[in-house]
Amino acid sequence: MNPIIKWTVWQRRISTLWWSIGVSFFMFINMIFYPTFKDQAAELQKSFESLPDAALQLFGGSSDFFSPVGFLNSQIFFIMLPLLLGILAISLGSTLIAREEQDHTVESLLSRPISRTKLLFSKATAGLILLSIVTLVSLVTTVVVSKVVDISVPTINIVAVTLACYVLAVSFGAIAFLLTAIGKTRGLSMGIGTVMALGGYIISSLAGTVTWLKGPSYIFPFHYYESEAILRGHFSWSNIIILTLVIAFCALLSWLFFRKRDLA
Amino acid sequence: MSVKPTIDIRGLTKQYSGTASPSLSDLTLQVMPGEVYGFLGPNGAGKSTTIRVLMNFLQPTAGSAEILGHDIVNDSVVIKQSVGYLAGDFDVYPKMTGTQFISYLAELHGNSSRKYASEIAKRLQAVTNKKLGELSRGQRQKIGIIQAFMHKPTVLILDEPSSGLDPLMQEVFYELVAEAKQRGAAIFISSHIMAEVQKICDRVGVIREGKLITERSVTDLATEAAQTFDVTFAGKPPVQVLKRIPGLTVTNHKDTQVTLHMHGELQQLFKLLGQHKIVSIDTRTLDLEEMFLHYYSDGGVK
Repeated sequence: MNPIIKWTVWQRRISTLWWSIGVSFFMFINMIFYPTFKDQAAELQKSFESLPDAALQLFGGSSDFFSPVGFLNSQIFFIMLPLLLGILAISLGSTLIAREEQDHTVESLLSRPISRTKLLFSKATAGLILLSIVTLVSLVTTVVVSKVVDISVPTINIVAVTLACYVLAVSFGAIAFLLTAIGKTRGLSMGIGTVMALGGYIISSLAGTVTWLKGPSYIFPFHYYESEAILRGHFSWSNIIILTLVIAFCALLSWLFFRKRDLA
Repeated sequence: MSVKPTIDIRGLTKQYSGTASPSLSDLTLQVMPGEVYGFLGPNGAGKSTTIRVLMNFLQPTAGSAEILGHDIVNDSVVIKQSVGYLAGDFDVYPKMTGTQFISYLAELHGNSSRKYASEIAKRLQAVTNKKLGELSRGQRQKIGIIQAFMHKPTVLILDEPSSGLDPLMQEVFYELVAEAKQRGAAIFISSHIMAEVQKICDRVGVIREGKLITERSVTDLATEAAQTFDVTFAGKPPVQVLKRIPGLTVTNHKDTQVTLHMHGELQQLFKLLGQHKIVSIDTRTLDLEEMFLHYYSDGGVK
């Protein structure tokens, strides 16, 4: 294996372990009480239906919270998992190159016969590996806990929505990665990445009720993530393709800028 | 057939965006195989900028440079097969041990001899089994030297290489430089330590405000400096009479002491000194520091 990928993954093994434990714990806590909710579903459903439309949009755009799909969507896939994986992806994207540059260790690497392209590719690959590990652990947790508490959603749909969530998180990470690749600081990259993720969530959620937000929502990756539809078995390849194009565009720009720019 | 320079810099210029003047301006110099070139200048003069441009960490604004006949921008990866580099602010991964760091870089290099790395580590008495973050600056510098020399490069680019080393280890470092020179390596060293430059360099270049203001061979400097005398008179020195001697400059005068620079015949000087009571007379073999200060005083700019 490429030594840069190997070392970057090894260097973050402990934090990845903690991330995996933390994400699994959140999933577990959110899902384990499903039987209790299910018993009181009718009453709770009435209360939620009385919420204003804009508030409902922030919970996933549906008033169905207590069916298996509605529960999984509102508790896990609409906001929690994208947020957790998004934070991890942004944090990786904004530190993989920037930390090496800030600590001047990038000079030790580039004083070897390594092209900047290879360095960039290696760092991005390491980031994808780390994010994949946490995503995989979260997927296994969701599938296992949903079986235990009897949330009857087809496993394939859970896999599909987790994949879509992973691609969404990678797009956040790719934006943060691009910002550090063009020479912006770690803090700025993390900030803009977070604004794109959280702002996108709010704008895309509210676009269902606030018509003038519909146009701007198209520029945020979150718009192309339809967790509830996927859980119901309607997987949209076009959304995945659009997110993949965003990632590819960020990767291309990162490469174009990083290979010729001055190192800090 | 003439020998080609290993490092060939032609009109290299670097101006950072948003700055009024270039950090490096029209630099032209060559370093030949088997030559040790000392690059002198105070902080901010452009030494590290030059080195970072040569290493392709910074893009030149104008001019070009070749190392081993390859362009520093387009052929950077090829060049780095044969280059050993030590950064001025050499930084490490604090959680790696010295051995892990050396192995990591050796793996990236592909052809590094870990046997030679171990040999250098032994000679430098480097601590390689502790985490780098726990090491003293001197110990970290030793790791930096090991990684620069371990693949027996034909070009060494070293920015303040012996800073942090104790005198004994500095001697080991000088030996490593001498061995690399013996192998025919071209060595480009930026340094603040004049005694070091004097000891290991064949040629020196002085840079000021991004411009190379002089380039001299250390042998020439030694010849010139041999005609510098520190004279202590028993009474008041005859400064005005001394100044009338052709080729003589009084560079320093304090109480009964004078420092004289003499170009040309010494006969007239000694004839005059013979007419006075002299307490002591010292001849300097070489004083690079004086040259350095001379070029950094305003009058020294040429």
